[in-house]
Amino acid sequence: MTGLSAKNADLIRSSRFRAEREAGWKELDQLVTRTEKAGLPSLRYEEAQKLASLYRQAMNSLSVARSISMDKALLSYLEALCARAYLVVYAPQESIRGIIARLFSHGIPQAVRRSALPLSVGFLAMFLGAVVGYLLYFQDPGWFFTFVPPEMSDGRVPGASYSYLRETLYDSGDRSGETLGVFASFLFSHNTRIAIFIFALGVFATLPSFILTFYNGLLLGAFFAMFAEAGLALDLFAWLSIHGVTELSAICIACAGGAQLGLAVLLPGNLTRREALRAAGRDAVKLIILAGLMLIVAAIVEGFLRQLVQSISLRLMIGWGLGAAWLAWLLLSGRDTGQDKTQTRDTAAS
Amino acid sequence: MTNLAIRISPPEGVPISFRIATGGQRFGAQLLDILITFGGMFLFFLAMIWSGIFDWSLIATLFLLLVFFLRVPYYIFSELVWNGRTIGKRIVKIRVVSADGGRLTPHQITARNLMKEVEVFMPATTILSATVESGWVTFALVIWMLLVLLVPLFNKKRQRLGDMIAGTYVIDQPQSVLLPDLAANGTSQAAGFVFDTVHLEVYGRYELQVLEEILRQKPRTPEAVTRMEDVSKTIQRKIGYAEKVAQGDNWDFLSDFYRQQRQYLESRQLFGDAREDKYHEKTKEPE
Repeated sequence: MTGLSAKNADLIRSSRFRAEREAGWKELDQLVTRTEKAGLPSLRYEEAQKLASLYRQAMNSLSVARSISMDKALLSYLEALCARAYLVVYAPQESIRGIIARLFSHGIPQAVRRSALPLSVGFLAMFLGAVVGYLLYFQDPGWFFTFVPPEMSDGRVPGASYSYLRETLYDSGDRSGETLGVFASFLFSHNTRIAIFIFALGVFATLPSFILTFYNGLLLGAFFAMFAEAGLALDLFAWLSIHGVTELSAICIACAGGAQLGLAVLLPGNLTRREALRAAGRDAVKLIILAGLMLIVAAIVEGFLRQLVQSISLRLMIGWGLGAAWLAWLLLSGRDTGQDKTQTRDTAAS
Repeated sequence: MTNLAIRISPPEGVPISFRIATGGQRFGAQLLDILITFGGMFLFFLAMIWSGIFDWSLIATLFLLLVFFLRVPYYIFSELVWNGRTIGKRIVKIRVVSADGGRLTPHQITARNLMKEVEVFMPATTILSATVESGWVTFALVIWMLLVLLVPLFNKKRQRLGDMIAGTYVIDQPQSVLLPDLAANGTSQAAGFVFDTVHLEVYGRYELQVLEEILRQKPRTPEAVTRMEDVSKTIQRKIGYAEKVAQGDNWDFLSDFYRQQRQYLESRQLFGDAREDKYHEKTKEPE
């Protein structure tokens, strides 16, 4: 142990270990500090390469130091250095544009195609609600008041005159362009809130999502029945179609997202519930993004076009055309067979 | 609040431990982010209201809408660009990491921030915008918000619901400071205390590292010197060191003892005899 000329030979084993590697750690420390400040692109090619190899060496040192060294200063330094280097090396490397492009071309359509069961739950809830609302209304119009809160019906109640009801469908009113925009934004924030509640409540075993969507369906059914009774079925259908195809689908999709989470809680399969929830979250998040997107489009259409476009056929065409566009995007885009990446992205640009 | 630690296994297979950010830190970061997203806009709208050009309801709606369009993308994009750090988190020096040891995926970031919307902001804005007339709904929303806000305080890893769904932790940004090696500079002391195996049998790793912390700073005040001497005397008594240590040599004694004790314990550890603390003999016996 003593008498050897080399300085390092005089040290105890763990000190020698440290002395031999310290320069490498310091270098890694500098690289990491720079990258933390200015990001990975600021490194030159050789530096990036060096970062990777120094990171691996430091990890190796940490592993060895844990078994041979009792120097707390060294251990905590290496631990922190490796942690910092790890966070730099394993940073997300996709560009934001790439992420968004992939989300629209592949992520969302594929998530939708994977979620047949929750989607059917969502649409079924709405459909059942509508049917029940419709039938109940014809049994006893009094049900209408049970379903529809007075501030929402706005005078459109059973027994209202044909001309008044008709006016609500075609009233161009004296809305200027500016107030239409405000109206659209109000609709959007209102609808998004409903959609987000429907989605979020799905975690509690799907049921609240289902009920809320069902309730939305009830409203729809009762409204429809009332207008149908007044002989305005087609008019109302067109009035609803222009934005409703998109908006109601968005609500159903939000419900499907919630249902997906709820199903994971209800039927986790072989996973633990928390893991199942996490797995289901992947598609559920994409569904809610899709629902949000559709609500934006629906609000724009509802806020502007519904009042500006007055003819039945045009309303029907716009509404269902938009629906077909959504469907085409969701069904056709992101099939893995072709290399077409930039497909029908602009269906939303109406 | 103490800092809890979690271990994350990177693909290299060497687990690294991180300290979980405290509730206070996260609250602070969140507050800063809210100030950043709301603050500027709030002032802008306040000016608009003050000038009285538009009526109140219109401004409120526009405000809600803009907040929604700014808020969600702000959190998602800033965490994407800065690898798990919003501006608030950068200032408070905390960040988000993926629990599985891989890199943070866009999905995880989106999921945890969308859930934030659901957990806190939506109920809050619903209450504030006063669109709900029924007191019961407001009451339920307040309860929901309180419960959700309490979740991170009552689980071990301080995860929000969003963190659980996304599989992420919020951690303290690690700081690395390399202190000098005490065993490397203690070699050329004149006093040259030498310890036998009997002396070195007593203590374990824990005591060694406590001694390391004591030796990090040379005592300056008379009180500190006395304290250091007390430590030295206690060690002499405990290990049964027979020779007399001169009054001025206590520091050298401790340094030499540290060096030789560390060498001894490290070589014992290499032979598979890891000694955690001074009770190592007792804990070994039952087996």
